[in-house]
Amino acid sequence: MKFNVLAASTAIALGLAAGSACAAAQLDQPAPTFTAQSAAGGTISLDAYRGKTVVLEWTNHQCPFVKKHYESGNIPSLQKEATAKGVVWLQVISSAPGKQGHVDGATAQKLNAERGAAPTATVLDPEGRIARQYEAVTTPHLYIVAPDGKLVYKGGIDSIASNKKEDIARADNYVKLALNDLAAGRKPAHASTQPYGCTIKYAD
Amino acid sequence: MFRHFTMRQALAACLCLLSLAAPAADLPPAAAGTPHVRARLVAAVDAVVPGGEILLGVEQRIIPHWHTYWRNPGDSGVPTRIDWQLPAGAEAGDIRWPTPQRFVLGPVTNYGYADEVTLLAPVRVPEGLAAGSRFEVRASVSWLVCREECIPEEVELGLALPVVAGGAGRGDPAVDRALARLPAAAPWQAGFVQAADGSLRLRIEDGAFRPGRPASAWFYPETWGRIAQSAAQPLSVSEGALELQLAPGSAPPPPGEALRGVLVLGEATADGERLSGFELAAAPAAGAAGEGEVGLLAALGLALFGGLVLNLMPCVFPVLSIKALSLLRHAELSPWQKRLQGLAYTAGVLVSFALLGGLLILLRAGGQAIGWGFQYQSPVFVIAVAYLMFGVGLNLSGLFTVGASAAGIGSSLAARGGYAGSFFTGVLATVVATPCTAPFMGAAIGYALGQPGPALLAIFLSLGLGLALPYLALAAWPPLQRLLPRPGAWMERLKEGLAFPMYGAAAWLVWVLARQGGANAVLVALGGMVLIAFAGWLYAATRGGSLWTRHGGAGFAAAALALALIGGGAGVDAVAVDAAPRAESAAGDQPWQPYSAARLDELRRAGKPVFVNLTAAWCISCLVNERVALSDNGVLEHFRERGIAYLKGDWTNRDEAISRYLAEFGRSGVPLYVYYPPGAASRPVVLPQLLTPDIVRQAVGNENPVSTSTNLKES
Repeated sequence: MKFNVLAASTAIALGLAAGSACAAAQLDQPAPTFTAQSAAGGTISLDAYRGKTVVLEWTNHQCPFVKKHYESGNIPSLQKEATAKGVVWLQVISSAPGKQGHVDGATAQKLNAERGAAPTATVLDPEGRIARQYEAVTTPHLYIVAPDGKLVYKGGIDSIASNKKEDIARADNYVKLALNDLAAGRKPAHASTQPYGCTIKYAD
Repeated sequence: MFRHFTMRQALAACLCLLSLAAPAADLPPAAAGTPHVRARLVAAVDAVVPGGEILLGVEQRIIPHWHTYWRNPGDSGVPTRIDWQLPAGAEAGDIRWPTPQRFVLGPVTNYGYADEVTLLAPVRVPEGLAAGSRFEVRASVSWLVCREECIPEEVELGLALPVVAGGAGRGDPAVDRALARLPAAAPWQAGFVQAADGSLRLRIEDGAFRPGRPASAWFYPETWGRIAQSAAQPLSVSEGALELQLAPGSAPPPPGEALRGVLVLGEATADGERLSGFELAAAPAAGAAGEGEVGLLAALGLALFGGLVLNLMPCVFPVLSIKALSLLRHAELSPWQKRLQGLAYTAGVLVSFALLGGLLILLRAGGQAIGWGFQYQSPVFVIAVAYLMFGVGLNLSGLFTVGASAAGIGSSLAARGGYAGSFFTGVLATVVATPCTAPFMGAAIGYALGQPGPALLAIFLSLGLGLALPYLALAAWPPLQRLLPRPGAWMERLKEGLAFPMYGAAAWLVWVLARQGGANAVLVALGGMVLIAFAGWLYAATRGGSLWTRHGGAGFAAAALALALIGGGAGVDAVAVDAAPRAESAAGDQPWQPYSAARLDELRRAGKPVFVNLTAAWCISCLVNERVALSDNGVLEHFRERGIAYLKGDWTNRDEAISRYLAEFGRSGVPLYVYYPPGAASRPVVLPQLLTPDIVRQAVGNENPVSTSTNLKES
């Protein structure tokens, strides 16, 4: 339990070195920017949305946890509600080719139409590049970037980690709460929460 | 042992067999399968006894390459969940999770189990079940099983156990296998420091550690986000210490909170690496970058102030008053001589505190869990101080005087006009001051104990300086002396009057002994006091006689005194060993339950609000708080209305578990009052060391009702 000053300062120095090495997605820091393929064709760049609130939603249509929130209409209605208020909602698909949830742009769009989903756009990230930048680990996994480009939320869709639709009504929807906070000019009360769901199917 | 079956037991057994043969139609089977997992409900016993507690378990046999999850699933995943449906009055505790393993998929790390695991849970069997009836248990078990894809699955399991009056046999061997896989209680104390960037360094000291042993280590935090799950955990093992570097996660430990989890150590053996899991609660190291910590300067200041306040404690005040009075008596002394008296006294105090500090450093190096006031955990020390108080009291009462000094004022040691007398008054003041830990000294001493040797000594010396300061100032500064009243006959009366606080202190210490060693210890202590009084009387009575009488009297007195000291010490030590289980905690209708880490954990996991009181019979402020605030009917009613469980831990005798709990809060001594609001993930609240009923009522149980969903978010 006792640490001498030398050891403690070494630890701090090491820690600082480690901290600067991984300038990934950190709260209240500029969110990592990216330019990637859009499911609708063409490219999408995060920088293009500077001045707007952007939601990033990692998804995999075959994941039971994603199904929970799409089949129940929870995420589609949240997408509609948010985009109606001028929020940009980007789905991100990071499943590697040959793995669960990997789709081409056309299929991604068809799936959204079938599910009544209404994101602003769908980002294709088959190499998992953006996912690694953001250290995204689950589907769903959500991030919110404020109009000034800073990351203001990272975590789960809501507070009950289950695959059961009946839990949705009982849960606190962290994304909805965070968007409400931002709209009211506040910092999100729950800025970092535990994401839950399937593991993102990164390339081997 | 050979046992005869009674007719009734045999009949009961038959009935059970019959009932087992024809299970209720709606009871699901004990085993069920999904495409990935075969689950089985198992019990540690083959029958239940009313009023007992049994272990049930859910065994999962998982197909190769797939896994289910631990309580903290890591980056993704969901822990297995068991919802029990039990007969009325029965109650299931939380899952006891076997030591997990890691599953790494690219940048994602999960904690869980492959192949086979049994999750155990204790179940309390209600009283009043009829022997021969059946105890039916249903469990809805849901889990997420993953390889790369994840599949949520759920089964319903049922088990019927016969109820017997006694003598249940062994149940399923899967339970024993699971027990063997539970993490063991950690045999060491662990601490961690948090650097400015949030990275954590876990440190454990143990004589058995040396380079290469253990060969590997991995820390699994109990709560999600405490560390970055996927980051490497660089291990360094030196002679006697292990350090693990942990990268910061999304939800770092809140200031002052322990880092809990399972530490898995690997030992290189001939047949490969052998892993063992340990349940760990690493205390935040004092002096880390967190808030609410005391810095060295602040600790020195607090210690100085605490020392000053010690002067007002009931057992210290008489000693000092007498010493101050002796300054008046010695009007013939020059100012310089008086100053030297003051310095000698200060030296006595400082040397005593340095010795205490040195002793603490030695004990700590020996790996003992210690804390302030620890000396009073030794009955031998308690009896010695009781005798000292009693002896000083007799001396003040005028039963005897020591030495040839005509001054005759003050205790035996403090009586001499010489500098040695002043020095020993300082020692005496230290001895009598230690139990009266003033409230604000707790933080300073807690900080000191977490420091390297030199800082610890500095804080103790600062404390001593505070204690010595008033007398030193008085001796060094003649104008202050003029403020004292003029000498006169009143001094003798005051001196005699001051004997009574001494007797009071001795009486209290005998009560402490009674708590430590029971009635026999009281007999030993009081017998010793009779001998001391006899020795004092004999010594005084023979003083005026011939040389022979004088020497004989003194000799007999010394013999009686030695008998009292040695006999008392040995006697009290012997009885204290037998009296380990404390009588009070066995009593039935007190408003509190005895503290144990397991009980606290159980209540917390059930989301119940808990109030923890750590106390000791030798801690005066603890006793005052208990009498004034915690026994108050209004407070107890307040607890009852809000369903707050009241746990009380007694540190009167040495108790490693309580020492560890204190260390988690950066404390080294009692009292400590902690309130856990409802909800398994609620933050504990530490109450002040001086309580009033209002403070307790305001601090405890007034949080806004927490919605269930918020409780679950960190589960």
